[in-house]
Amino acid sequence: MAKILYIEDIQDNITLVEKIVTSRGHDFLFARNAESGLELAFAAKPDLILLDLGLPDADGQTLSVWLKSDPALSSTPIIVLTAWPEEVVRQTVNAYNLNGYLCKPFSLMELVNKIDSVLGTKTP
Amino acid sequence: MMIEIIAADRFTLQELTDLYNQTRVDYLVPMPMNADRLNEYVHDFDVDLHYSCVARDTDGQVLGLSMLGFRNETAWITRLGVLPVSRRTGTGAVLMDCMLENAAILGAKETHLEVIKNNAPAYNLFLKKGFLETDTYLVMRHAPRPLRDSLQGETTWLGFDGALKKLASYPKHLTWINACESMRNSPNTEGLHISLPNGSSGWLVYRNTKFTLRSTLSHLIIHTEQGDPVEVGTQLLSHLHTHYAHHDTYAENIHEQDPHLPAFQALGYFTNFSRIEMRRQSSS
Repeated sequence: MAKILYIEDIQDNITLVEKIVTSRGHDFLFARNAESGLELAFAAKPDLILLDLGLPDADGQTLSVWLKSDPALSSTPIIVLTAWPEEVVRQTVNAYNLNGYLCKPFSLMELVNKIDSVLGTKTP
Repeated sequence: MMIEIIAADRFTLQELTDLYNQTRVDYLVPMPMNADRLNEYVHDFDVDLHYSCVARDTDGQVLGLSMLGFRNETAWITRLGVLPVSRRTGTGAVLMDCMLENAAILGAKETHLEVIKNNAPAYNLFLKKGFLETDTYLVMRHAPRPLRDSLQGETTWLGFDGALKKLASYPKHLTWINACESMRNSPNTEGLHISLPNGSSGWLVYRNTKFTLRSTLSHLIIHTEQGDPVEVGTQLLSHLHTHYAHHDTYAENIHEQDPHLPAFQALGYFTNFSRIEMRRQSSS
């Protein structure tokens, strides 16, 4: 099973994603802002990062650059979970060389399938 | 519903931050802040919290807020937001009336604001309050990427004073956040001047904001002194992104007809969203 870090400032979203991720047997970590997310990513070396674009200190785009500039994290896949308009998110994911996105609201199965496809696993 | 207006300086920055974030939770482009960022915003954009307002009902439940900047006989309304559960109760209109009254008290001859394109409820409210659309601006991003074009020209990197001196000579209108006063308020303002072999020249002013762990670039303003704006802009941006090869960049309020826009696009900038600037003359 994988170690998944979710960086998101809204507690309801953290709670929802935690339920989905842990029910699939993954380890779940979270941070509520960019700088603590970066520090936690450095310390925990997650297998996958789920990233909100709207964060209260630096935004998700900037954070993704910081994450990818670290050799230990540069190949860690990042999936964007956001309420931004889909066309903007698609351009963002391409420009920032990220690994996928889901626009809120998304279903439980959409998130499970996205995690599986990025990790290359099939969760039970 | 009875709505009471209270000066925002009676709340802590954390309380204002929490309220602001709650008003934007379902916004077209959610842009939450923390108290440090709000404090920086208040400082950099000359927001006067005494003349900014929080709306609440008679039970003391907060409903929304709006902030007012003031400089040079011009007021600027910003951060206007109403909690999702309190929308369609007239709270936004009451906050706008308060902002306009306070702008008048401060002696504003004109009031400016910006609204995100397609935010129809806000746009229509501003029209009702006498604001007229002036220009459309783009908010663009640039992710670090390898540069394709070769660098040309002689560059001079400008510190705070040099950058502000260039910006003071900018011949066109700048929106509030990129205005000379806003850039002067930030210690992170820097610049770059270029002279190209064909005699073209120009400059770029920007902010290089340091976070605890990293830096990022924002608030870009380009001016061509002589020559083709696309050529000058392309070289300025190429030098910038070569020098700061790993910096994320956020370019706010680039005029939709800015002659340097093709240079931004050639360097890989893409539009996140558009803002409409609106202005209202004072009635006196």
